[in-house]
Amino acid sequence: MISPIIEVENLVKVYPGGTRAVDGISFNVEPGELLGFLGPNGAGKTTTIRILATLLAATSGTARVAGFDVTTQAADVRRRLGLAMQTPTLDAFATGRENIELIGRMHRVGRAELKRRTDELLELMGLTDVARKLAGTYSGGMRRRLDLACALVHRPRVLILDEPTEGLDPQSRIALWEELERISRDGTTMLLTTHYMEEADRLCNRVAIIDNGRIVVDGTPANLKAGIGADSVTLQLEASGSEDMARLHEEVRGLLAGFESLESVTPEPFGVRLAIRDAGRAIPELMRRLDRNGHDVHVIGLAVGRPSLDDVFVKYTGRRIRTEAADQPLILGW
Amino acid sequence: MIGDFFYEAWYLSLRTLRRFFRVPANWIGIIFFPLIQLFVFSQLFKDIIQLPGFRSSGSGSYLAYLAPGQIAFTAFFAVAWSGSAILVEYRNGYMDKLRATPIFRVSILVGELAPLFIESAIMAGGILLLSVLLGATIKTGLIGAALILVLSGLFGMAWAGTSFVPALLTKSEQATGTLSLVFFPIAFMSTAFVPPALMPGWLQTVNSWNPITFLIEAIRPLMVSGYDWAAIGKALIAIAVLGLVLQSATLWAFRRLTA
Repeated sequence: MISPIIEVENLVKVYPGGTRAVDGISFNVEPGELLGFLGPNGAGKTTTIRILATLLAATSGTARVAGFDVTTQAADVRRRLGLAMQTPTLDAFATGRENIELIGRMHRVGRAELKRRTDELLELMGLTDVARKLAGTYSGGMRRRLDLACALVHRPRVLILDEPTEGLDPQSRIALWEELERISRDGTTMLLTTHYMEEADRLCNRVAIIDNGRIVVDGTPANLKAGIGADSVTLQLEASGSEDMARLHEEVRGLLAGFESLESVTPEPFGVRLAIRDAGRAIPELMRRLDRNGHDVHVIGLAVGRPSLDDVFVKYTGRRIRTEAADQPLILGW
Repeated sequence: MIGDFFYEAWYLSLRTLRRFFRVPANWIGIIFFPLIQLFVFSQLFKDIIQLPGFRSSGSGSYLAYLAPGQIAFTAFFAVAWSGSAILVEYRNGYMDKLRATPIFRVSILVGELAPLFIESAIMAGGILLLSVLLGATIKTGLIGAALILVLSGLFGMAWAGTSFVPALLTKSEQATGTLSLVFFPIAFMSTAFVPPALMPGWLQTVNSWNPITFLIEAIRPLMVSGYDWAAIGKALIAIAVLGLVLQSATLWAFRRLTA
């Protein structure tokens, strides 16, 4: 049996002032897995990551990375860990190459290997042409890629990424996803946090939804979505006014009575929204029922929505993730 | 183990030096004020040298009297805001990036402090060179000049604590900038502009404790007369005591910040 590469048990972090940022989190990550922490800002994702990266002491509980305890064997953990934080942290007055090389040296990558590895990473991240320019002159996407190169220079067994695509334009985001997929295929275990549903859906083997410092549910994206059950079918109906529409709502209810795939009917101003199991197979039957003689239900538009991780998030937390906008406190010092 | 520490501190220091010298504003800002004082005051107060108190200093002109003080001022200015850089990197997360690598935590601090020796020495050297171009002399020649740079560098490294301690304790660049002003009078009360004989009694007392005065009075003979080992010894002791006190406080504040 292969033992997990990240083992977290009952982790708790209470900040001075009493905020319970992490409130009893337990999870394992198997070698080669790509686990995503999905949750709104303030859910406790970054705190968990900082504890795993040995940058923050937990209040209680244990965390082990590659078999080493993050508190008592921090140096052993650090040797095996690559880290990229929420905003790229670079030395703006050093070139791209110098940035990678310094982190490599701190990890004791040998001289010849460092040269080779730096060349390789610059090439991989598409930064070869700007390797001699100061990192301070880089664009957002370039900064991300350089940050990632720094995190990879010592070939870590575990890569921890906090919001890796935050603040990137769609194009750079997709490019970075492809990069991360490649790194994952090479066998590096990855733990990333995100509040982008698509990101979790596309990249992760497994997603843990985290809210208020707890993991509320975890599983593969497919399993989590399957747990939601029905697909959503939206029908746009032709009506002469809002009273007519109300009448049509009742008519649809009557026509669909006894339709075994149907779970619910929700009236909408433009028509109805139906929750239907296995919509792909059920739609012909649905249309047949709506087309029955003697009724004036005219469908002028139809859309089928598969459950998304968004729906999973709503189901388990009762909120949509996107409405939880970043409202981080201003830092006021004197 | 100790080799690891030197390896880390070496590469982190090189990075710090690169950061310093790649931004001309850094060194222009340091050199500007002493340079202006050297230019303007040496002309403005040209005749002040004829006052009796100056004779014992051995300086032939006010420029010659002023130069050692401005060299010391440069070492002072070179580190007056030095704590800000570590604060910026604490804030933007770069320090965390370094802390997440398997290095000694203290290497990060030493990588910031050690380069200040070079920075202060080179900046002071610039003013030394300019004062020679303006007509000052160095009686002790190249060896004396090297000694002046070493003294300036050591002083800068020690004095940097006055910026690092407030920076690490307040975590505020503004506070660090403002608090640095508190130390300016210490520089102005030194013997940079007039000899102690022309000062009121209380200022003479201040100067018997002023580390900047010890530095200036060690540099002055090297430029105008010859080696004054007693003055150099006193300056080294003053710098050592200052450095020990301030850098212990810096280390304490750094550990507190990164705990």
